[in-house]
Amino acid sequence: MTIEIGIRIEPAADAADLAAVAEARGLDLVVVGARRDVDHAPLDPWTTAAWLAGRTARIAVGVDEPARAPRGAAFGLRDEAPDPRDAERPIASVIGRAHDSLDVLAPSRLLGAGAPSTAGAGGGGRADAASPPPWRTAPAGATLDDLTALAADGVPVVVPADTPADVERIAALAEELRGLAPSRPSRSAAARARRAAGIDYDGVPESLMDAAVEPGDAAYRSVSSTYLRGGAPGLVLRPRTVDEVADALAFARRHPDLALGIRSGGHGISGRSTSRGGLVIDVGRMNTIEVLDRERRLVRIGPGATWKQVAAALHPFGWALGSGDYGGVGVGGLATAGGIGLLSRQHGLTIDHLRAVELVLADGRSVRASADEHPDLFWAVRGAGANFGIATAFEFEVDEVDDVGWAKLALVTPDLEGSLLDFGRIASTAARDTTAFLVTGRPQEGQSVIQLFAIVDDADPEVVVERLTPFTGVGVLAQQEAAVVPYRDVMAQAADVGPDGHRGFGEPVSRSAFLPVLTPEFAADAAALLETGLVHFFELRTMGGAIADVASDAMAFPHRSPAFQVTAMGADAAALTAGWDGLRHHFDGLYLSFETDRSPERLLDAFPEPVLGRLRALKRRYDPENRFRDNFNIDPTVAAASVGSHETRWEAAS
Amino acid sequence: MTDYGHDLRFGTFITPSAQGARRAVELAEASDRAGLDLVTFQDHPYQASFLDTSTLLAYVAARTERVHLSANVASLPLRPPAVLARAAASLDVLSGGRFELGIGAGAFWDGIAAMGGRRLTPGQGVDALREGIAIIRDLWDVDAPGRVSHHGRYYDVAGAKRGPRPAHDIGVRVGAYKPRMLALTGEVGDGWLPSLEYLDRGVASLDPSNTRIDDAALAAGRSPRDVRRLLNFMRVELSPVSRGLLSGPPEQWVDDLAALALDHGMSAFLVAGDDPVVAERLGAEIAPAVRELVARERGARESGAGESGASTTAA
Ligand SMILES: Cc1cc2nc3c(=O)[nH]c(=O)nc-3n(C[C@H](O)[C@H](O)[C@H](O)COP(=O)(O)OP(=O)(O)OC[C@H]3O[C@@H](n4cnc5c(N)ncnc54)[C@H](O)[C@@H]3O)c2cc1C
Repeated sequence: MTIEIGIRIEPAADAADLAAVAEARGLDLVVVGARRDVDHAPLDPWTTAAWLAGRTARIAVGVDEPARAPRGAAFGLRDEAPDPRDAERPIASVIGRAHDSLDVLAPSRLLGAGAPSTAGAGGGGRADAASPPPWRTAPAGATLDDLTALAADGVPVVVPADTPADVERIAALAEELRGLAPSRPSRSAAARARRAAGIDYDGVPESLMDAAVEPGDAAYRSVSSTYLRGGAPGLVLRPRTVDEVADALAFARRHPDLALGIRSGGHGISGRSTSRGGLVIDVGRMNTIEVLDRERRLVRIGPGATWKQVAAALHPFGWALGSGDYGGVGVGGLATAGGIGLLSRQHGLTIDHLRAVELVLADGRSVRASADEHPDLFWAVRGAGANFGIATAFEFEVDEVDDVGWAKLALVTPDLEGSLLDFGRIASTAARDTTAFLVTGRPQEGQSVIQLFAIVDDADPEVVVERLTPFTGVGVLAQQEAAVVPYRDVMAQAADVGPDGHRGFGEPVSRSAFLPVLTPEFAADAAALLETGLVHFFELRTMGGAIADVASDAMAFPHRSPAFQVTAMGADAAALTAGWDGLRHHFDGLYLSFETDRSPERLLDAFPEPVLGRLRALKRRYDPENRFRDNFNIDPTVAAASVGSHETRWEAAS
Repeated sequence: MTDYGHDLRFGTFITPSAQGARRAVELAEASDRAGLDLVTFQDHPYQASFLDTSTLLAYVAARTERVHLSANVASLPLRPPAVLARAAASLDVLSGGRFELGIGAGAFWDGIAAMGGRRLTPGQGVDALREGIAIIRDLWDVDAPGRVSHHGRYYDVAGAKRGPRPAHDIGVRVGAYKPRMLALTGEVGDGWLPSLEYLDRGVASLDPSNTRIDDAALAAGRSPRDVRRLLNFMRVELSPVSRGLLSGPPEQWVDDLAALALDHGMSAFLVAGDDPVVAERLGAEIAPAVRELVARERGARESGAGESGASTTAA
């Protein structure tokens, strides 16, 4: 049992001195509480607490207000609507902000801040005024016996202190109390109070202990959210080696009912690489990039590298590996799903370049999969990798790529339908060295702004201009940026993730589909959908070219023939689905990386038979207990027969 | 066209962003190291992406040594006067007299109402601010007899304890733009704290606004010198070429700031932009040069025109 002892001080000019002594002498907490029976108002306890937090580095800080007890009464707040004329009463919501703020400034040192489950999007928890303070106050001059009795059940105890000598005395008592077991708890009671239910925190494997992040830790905020999704996981394990990944998985196996997210670059849209209260295995730190064989242009890349880093590392060799359109995306999530990018029409999907992958399987075994080692697994990982293990390294054969023509065009059009149709024709019939993506949103006052992002895989400016010229007729050209640059520079436009981690909040709402051909009917329906305003981001990724050279049964990515991949993002899931359903008859399948719908029929869109049947059989072999289920889960326990067609499913439902 | 003769102060106007909390604190620390006089943070409690300014001020005060600190400016509708007075005095005690009170009548009333504050008209806001400042000063006045009672139109205080006693004479700087707020500033404020970009006519608004403050000060039996004139700059830039006020090379900044001091009476300059390089150069190069230039010019004016000498007031 951990014993935590601290001091309770008056808010006074020398408060920081006392707290500093307490911290230096290894005490665990300092609580600020004001006596009321003085002539003048004492210093403000909250201001004093924030000051103390700034002056110290480790010690937990609490604020004790006599008015804490009745509900809503922290800091003298009462439950009824506040009287705005009361000059002495703070505003409750501002106090809440103050709590959250101190939690941001001095992470996890504020005692009584709530558990992560109560945290709002923007901040940490707040003390619930109804709950008693998470410490006990001993009488001034308390003896060893007093402390022993008070600390018996692990609740921290504070002893009033007025002078440094008091603090020294209390520190000596604390040492005595801890006796011959001086091993300090690695996490304070304040931090432990935020732990999520159902996780065996004390059983975290030793190899992972140092880097594990739990809700009470300073690094927690930086690992909670992903690029597009807010989260509050119960525990994030951050292995650096294959063995540590196996350790992490062993730990996860002991928590079969908890959500388990696998994270590499944190840009997942379909994959839930964060959660509320679940486990995350984050391999982001496995991010090495090395050249294995110069002759064969074979490189080995860790899942935690970002495509921006990959592009920068390959550039000096005159090489590139096509990824997506955004350099911030991680290798792990994309190279297990597809990788439809701006080099794809010339060079194929990212998975088309994969020659081998190393995985830790659900049972903790580490395997290498390639054309001749576990070929069935190798087939599955290229499209459905998230279901089969944690990829710890990828071997790719990369391409020789000279500088590329890179363009960003903004075009305005009053006729979205016509412009979509034009784009479809131009983009699909362009030379394969040219790949263009279209992005637009809701038309405003009868005008749509269309953005085109294109790469021409040719370093000759004349060729680039020739290839791009047809696209400038898709609307009235409002802005253009075109240059011949290294592919590295295109990927480098993505922002780096700072020490504060990703900023996502809420849940993304996104729909994805493959479009076999962009017909006039589709253009009309898509334009009508955009007109509704339900879609704030709409993208057409041009396929064809080298993507279609690969046989559709070569990998678990069977969608080789569509002309486009379509993505729509909105704010309201139900409304977006309704709008999207009106377009479904145009589609054939979906690219799982952009789809947030978890209904079972989406699985068949991603993996049409016989792919799904084959995947399910493999899943039964490689992950029979369904550990890997955070992304387009192929449930091994579903019998093949019940995987009906859309029709039967809908009939059954109606 | 008055120079009130105040000594010059330089400082930063830092965004209290929650996501960039570490950066905000580092900028404040950098301002302190750079020898700047003042670190300030805007106060918008309804802005979810911002930190609570009072908490941030206390935390930053603890991590700095010399620099003075202030909200720029505290939103009275969400910071009831007695609460504000006690927090200010407390921080002044803890920091050894380094806290100043920037205060405003409130803006963004939707946000204020959403946080549980009272929605007032701009005119009511001015009156509430006048009451609020009186209450704040009464609570700080620990040597006056008895408790504080105040039964006003906007605030009610029934026998509040005085205190805590501030460690120094805390300046009350008012964020003001419109005539009634300017008059209030002259009547009861120790400082005027506008942002250049929010002044109707930019620099051209300074003189007429100063005149309003001066008139109100005189009418209240005070001296215009009792009110320090501070100025925020939201957009500044150190760049090789000149593109306008405080957008150009350091030498141009020096000229711009000296002119604002000598010709328009401004004596404290707070720059936004959250750029540690700007903070460092402001402290190391620009501030000393402006001080020197202004001192020289003031000396020349004094000996030339026989004007009364410059007096200095506390920060
Ligand atoms: C701004 C943006 C632009 C994008 N552009 C494109 C694009 O142009 N083309 C394209 O194809 N995709 C694109 N994507 C989609 C992107 O490929 C997927 O979201 C991908 O899953 C992100 O990978 P990650 O490692 O960054 O994400 P994470 O959130 O770390 O992972 C997402 C999911 O991938 C799985 N996963 C992650 N790491 C591993 C691993 N090591 N082993 C096994 N499974 C793992 C997990 O199921 C996880 O939930 C884009 C996404 C964003 C946010």
